Amino acid sequence: MILEMVRVQIWGLKEHLERMIPVLHEFGYLQIDDVREVQDVLLEPYSLNEKIKLQQQEVDLLIANINGLIELFTSLSKKRTEPVFDSSSSEEISDIRSKVSDLISQIQYLNNQKKALQDELISLSKYYSLLRAIAPLMPSSSEKSGNATIRALVHTSQMGNMKLLAQQLKLLTKGKFEMITVKIGESTNAVIGIFPLEMISQVETFMKNEKVAQLILPEEYAYLSTDDALQYIQKKIDLNHQELDEIDSRLHRIANNWLNPLQIWQLICKDRADEFDAYTKVGETDYTFTIFGWVPLENLENLRLVLKSNFGKNATLSVIGVPEELKEKIPVSIRNPKSITPFEDFVKLRAVPKYSDIDPSTLVAIFMPLFFGMMVGDVGYGALMLILTLLFRKKVKKGLLADFFGALRVGSVWTMIFGILYGEYFGTLGEKVGIPPLWISRSEGGNITTLILMALVVGFGHILLGLLIGIWNAIVHRSRNEIFERLGMFVGLIGVIILAGSLTRNLPHGFNILGWIVLAVGLGTMAISLGTTSLFLGPVEFVGVIGNVLSYLRITALGLASVFLAKVANDMGGMIGSVFVGVLIALVIHALNLVIGMLSPTIQSMRLQYVEFFRKFYEGGQAPFKPFRRRVTQEAIQSKN
Amino acid sequence: MEQAIIALAASLAIAVTALATALAQRAIGSAGVGALAEKPELAGTIIILVAIPETMVILGFAVAAIILLGG
Repeated sequence: MILEMVRVQIWGLKEHLERMIPVLHEFGYLQIDDVREVQDVLLEPYSLNEKIKLQQQEVDLLIANINGLIELFTSLSKKRTEPVFDSSSSEEISDIRSKVSDLISQIQYLNNQKKALQDELISLSKYYSLLRAIAPLMPSSSEKSGNATIRALVHTSQMGNMKLLAQQLKLLTKGKFEMITVKIGESTNAVIGIFPLEMISQVETFMKNEKVAQLILPEEYAYLSTDDALQYIQKKIDLNHQELDEIDSRLHRIANNWLNPLQIWQLICKDRADEFDAYTKVGETDYTFTIFGWVPLENLENLRLVLKSNFGKNATLSVIGVPEELKEKIPVSIRNPKSITPFEDFVKLRAVPKYSDIDPSTLVAIFMPLFFGMMVGDVGYGALMLILTLLFRKKVKKGLLADFFGALRVGSVWTMIFGILYGEYFGTLGEKVGIPPLWISRSEGGNITTLILMALVVGFGHILLGLLIGIWNAIVHRSRNEIFERLGMFVGLIGVIILAGSLTRNLPHGFNILGWIVLAVGLGTMAISLGTTSLFLGPVEFVGVIGNVLSYLRITALGLASVFLAKVANDMGGMIGSVFVGVLIALVIHALNLVIGMLSPTIQSMRLQYVEFFRKFYEGGQAPFKPFRRRVTQEAIQSKN
Repeated sequence: MEQAIIALAASLAIAVTALATALAQRAIGSAGVGALAEKPELAGTIIILVAIPETMVILGFAVAAIILLGG
């Protein structure tokens, strides 16, 4: 049902505006029009003062920080749930700011620590792998007291020079220099030199002069032997890993503890940002402000009371007329019983209804599951679908998937009802155990004519209903052409039904002439709306309508595909010698049929609503009602608690 | 022989229209997914656009049924 809306104007002294905005926000049933876009009003938009501008910037920054933290914490805790309102739901912006700032400091500190440890780990791993390559090659002389060791990394191309250098060092140390080289990479060689400790300064100076880069280990283990250094580095690596694990678990704890409050704070801050945004929609004069907006008629008195109790005579509310040019801009608010809500969303998926239209949600809620049931029509599949949708009911609460399961739940009931009519229990299993159909069996070839007739009757009925609503809408919109066009189609279709009845001898022969006359009257009525092009366009339009009716044959086509796939499952299962394998094959094919049966008929049924039914009366395209309402309200906090 | 020709005609009525539907849906579907990536609010329109060519195969089914029942 589309709610009746009224256009209102709230006027008051400027000094009360800062209190007015939160009051209207808390009220939650007023959509504020941007004064810059209101065509019938000439008012300057409210200019924000410096204090509000500063607050707005702070809140925007806070939202950006919170968004960053939420993104980080979601990746850490690997789950994103809906916020659960708790004590953090009523915090002030200043408290939120200081807590967010604390959190950022903590995270930055931990991240810095983590980065330092990771950097250290990288260099430790490098030293470790180098020393491990060198360790087995270290001669026993290197461990003798009084001997010193140098370690260097040399590119393969420099190895010739290195040998010459070793000879010079031997001369320098009077033959006491010992050199070992080992290839440790594609083009890297480790060079180890052992010589008397007293020569160390001379050797090091010589190496420096010859520009040979020594492998200089960190100071803490630079003077240890290779084996000791290796042990030391290994311990350090283990310790770093432990510390990294501790930091990670601390980050996880913080993420788990703070994700929910952050999500609530994000909503609170967005609410505040909305309030700043609302200021820009208000009009002002030197001393007064004016707010234009829309409120559902049923909430008008409530708004009046709220304003009176908060502002007394300092603010006035008046209902103002809706000029013709604004009629297409009236926001549309729809309210339906909970059981119809999923179908309401399917309607909105096509387009939000026009304010003056009939809300088709109830009709979709009736026909969509009905057609689904007619297509699938199997007690076994219906029961399984019902169980599945009930299982997913608590897990999927919002979004298109929740709507899909909601529609499927009703569809599964119709599936079971039509299953009883068709006598289908997992395809032909019912027949095999002796359960007869209440109406007809779809698996018998002789019944195809009845099934086609059923689809056509449904098609004619559905299209005629759509045209009737279309005629009503056209009368409401006072659109003469649309009235004649839809009336012509309606009458023409009645003529076709009479003709079909007469030609198939279900009606007496005399109805043949009546059918032609009614069809001619229908086409003639259409011609009035189409004007001079009627001779060509009239029949084309009408053939299109007949095509729409034939489109309902998909109910039969999909139904037959479903029942024959189920039959194949049962027959193939029965043909296999082994009972276990036979049941397994039947189960796999039935599972496939069930999945196809959940998806394809839903889409086809939706298409019959969108393309065949809606086109006869539904335009849609108006903007939805977007009230200025808090995301975090006291009612929401109380209801969640 | 006559029965075989009737069966062949019915199967052709379904097969050719099914192929035509598939070709149309391939083009619409791929373009639709691209559009959805940028504008998720177009979901309803895309579903309609993808489902529209299916009328061809449904009409093929109707023709096949007429051929079989008439035969």
